[in-house]
Amino acid sequence: MGLLQEIIFGLVTGSYIAIAAIGFTLIYGIVNMINFAYGEYISIGAFIGFLAAHTLPGPLPVAVVVAMIGGGVVSIILARGFFTPINHTGPVPMLLTSIGLGIVLRNGLRLVGGRSARYFETETSTFQFDAIPDLPVGPVDLLGGFFVTSEQLVVVGSAVAVFASIHLLLTRTDVGIAMRAMGDDESLARVRGIDTQLIRDSVWVLAGVLAGLAGVLMAVQTNVSADTGFSHILQILSAAILGGAGSPYGAILGAYVIGLVLAVSTAFLPSSMTGLSSAVAFVILIAVLLIKPSGIAGTEVREA
Amino acid sequence: MPLDITERVDRRAFLTLAGSGGIAGLSGCIGFGGDEESSDGGDGSGSDGSDSDGGDSGDDAPDTIVFGQPGALSGSFDFLQPGVSQAADAAVRHINEAGGPLGAELELVRRDTAVDPQEARTVATQLVENDNAAAIVGLFSSEINPLWDYLQDLRTPIVTPWPGSTFLDTRGGDKGTPSDVSDDEWVWRTVVGDTVHTGGSAVYALEEGFETLGIINGNTEGERSYVDGFLSVYEQNGGTVAERVEVELGSSSYQSALSRLFDADFDAFLVSMPQESAITALSDWSDGGYGRQPILSDTLAQQAVIDQVGSDLHGAWVASPGRSGPSYDTFEDIYNEEGDAEINGWTPPSWDSVQVTALAIERAGSTDPEAIQKNLGPVSRGEGTTVSTFAEGKEALANGEEITYRGAATPTDFTEHGNVFGSVTISTAESGGFVETTEVAAEDVREYVAEGEY
Repeated sequence: MGLLQEIIFGLVTGSYIAIAAIGFTLIYGIVNMINFAYGEYISIGAFIGFLAAHTLPGPLPVAVVVAMIGGGVVSIILARGFFTPINHTGPVPMLLTSIGLGIVLRNGLRLVGGRSARYFETETSTFQFDAIPDLPVGPVDLLGGFFVTSEQLVVVGSAVAVFASIHLLLTRTDVGIAMRAMGDDESLARVRGIDTQLIRDSVWVLAGVLAGLAGVLMAVQTNVSADTGFSHILQILSAAILGGAGSPYGAILGAYVIGLVLAVSTAFLPSSMTGLSSAVAFVILIAVLLIKPSGIAGTEVREA
Repeated sequence: MPLDITERVDRRAFLTLAGSGGIAGLSGCIGFGGDEESSDGGDGSGSDGSDSDGGDSGDDAPDTIVFGQPGALSGSFDFLQPGVSQAADAAVRHINEAGGPLGAELELVRRDTAVDPQEARTVATQLVENDNAAAIVGLFSSEINPLWDYLQDLRTPIVTPWPGSTFLDTRGGDKGTPSDVSDDEWVWRTVVGDTVHTGGSAVYALEEGFETLGIINGNTEGERSYVDGFLSVYEQNGGTVAERVEVELGSSSYQSALSRLFDADFDAFLVSMPQESAITALSDWSDGGYGRQPILSDTLAQQAVIDQVGSDLHGAWVASPGRSGPSYDTFEDIYNEEGDAEINGWTPPSWDSVQVTALAIERAGSTDPEAIQKNLGPVSRGEGTTVSTFAEGKEALANGEEITYRGAATPTDFTEHGNVFGSVTISTAESGGFVETTEVAAEDVREYVAEGEY
């Protein structure tokens, strides 16, 4: 296998991180809070999808749609129940509430869903490409043979569909334009007649829908457990920071950087240290922020 | 960026919040690992006996005696806990039906550590300080090794069915001098160590003609230890390692690591990971069509692994501690009356840990931890009457006889380092599950494990 194979692995990892990171960064950019419970939203989405796959007729995409709807519903209920009432108190109480809510949700999932991991039953096809001429580059080959699986294609395809949908939403719809206006200046948006509470609710629903999708995609790759989302929250947070907090396009970019670094660094690290690829990703995160503190696609901070 | 919605975002504030949130979140995560569960209530009042090392009549015996059981009620190894819990509960029931140690009622207080060292330290302290546990019948390698000094300071016997770590090969036990605790180390294990069953696995691999190996293992103590135990025999007997890749557990994909591993040329590959991560890695291996002979670590001999990975795994084999100790049949009958949890490689050792500790109390005539420590060796390795249950042992001791306990998992003949020795079972993955295909006799493995070094 060559470097091209590692890049494919990285694109797959970056894809499901990106889907989740968009939801995470929209909440930050528009609701102005860091939602540490977002990992649990992903886990809830995975559980809903798993439940749907085992109770409803139809193929896996039906379960995916149910997970997305369920994620959106859960997200708005939790927002209305826990975050909207304290929205006026500032970001720190919101942050602490999200941490507490995350812990409660995670342990609640363990209580309700059991402690053992569960698995989606999927049929995986593998597409092998062996005939690409090799081109050695340093310690690894640049091309060589590679493979992709049907699951990986679904993950990447889903991500592309999400990116296109988000772009159209933000550029072609009144709700999306209102979201951008609120993200830019909430007070001005309110003065211009935008129903800011409605937009907040819309963001919560959208973030929940994305969490539901990411949850099923992650769970199909690994398993369904109370920790499915929590185990990825640092990668999601990193993608959001790296890309530029609050910027959906930045989150996508950040997610792919994280995914590619995780995959490609494995090929270059000493074999006894391949488990440190996460550390390499965070070193790069820190390095980028030292050079460009606003993140890759972020806007420079305004001086007061 | 025309769509950037962050112009008002204060980056420094974001990073501050994110950092503090991360720390608080992780703290919360750690703090919530302490589920507790008591199989018997567990308000016990345990260790108030006198300091004695044997033969005491037990006139000052308490009404109840508590054993603490740290367990994997959650975490990566929780799938093994039901069998271990049921074996311990069955042992407690059997012991109480036989009159209990010193005539007291034995209680088991079980607490969750999630196989997290920090949580294990808290749980061990709670069991000893709050629950008055006379002994601890649990703890994993991943918990014992980092907490070693702390556990020695605790000065409470830990008789555990879990740890395979080679770290314990020359640590623990009474050093062959039961009456002198000054040279003791307070850990005993009733399961054979990794050196034994990985030794058996390595012997079998070489016999099968696999002379070059690839290895993928998790980055925790237990996973590393399994591989180190395997290699100590494998490489000494002519085997070579072409590539070894260590990975972070809990990842969503191991394809990059596998790609790296399978660039090397080898005959078979050894997988040492907990079940959930191993299923992800082996599914990735199957999807990638990498082929070659898989050799699995002992915790992976589970039906779920075959079900999730699929038929590509057929033919993979696992070397596990043998389950055929001298009193296995006796154990199995009592165990099956307790419930329907599946028996795994750590189930019979769990039974043995409770039985042998209760017998040590009976012989000591005391629940004092030091007295228990002094009697664990004498009730297991002596020349006395052979007993296979607490009931038989209690009767023999009442008759003034010395006893030697013969266990369900192994003969439970504690070495000077508090270890036991036994046979190794080779099981092969088939469509219906893992099927025992052969057994490497304890004597054959002993050839590769030096006396005094285990």
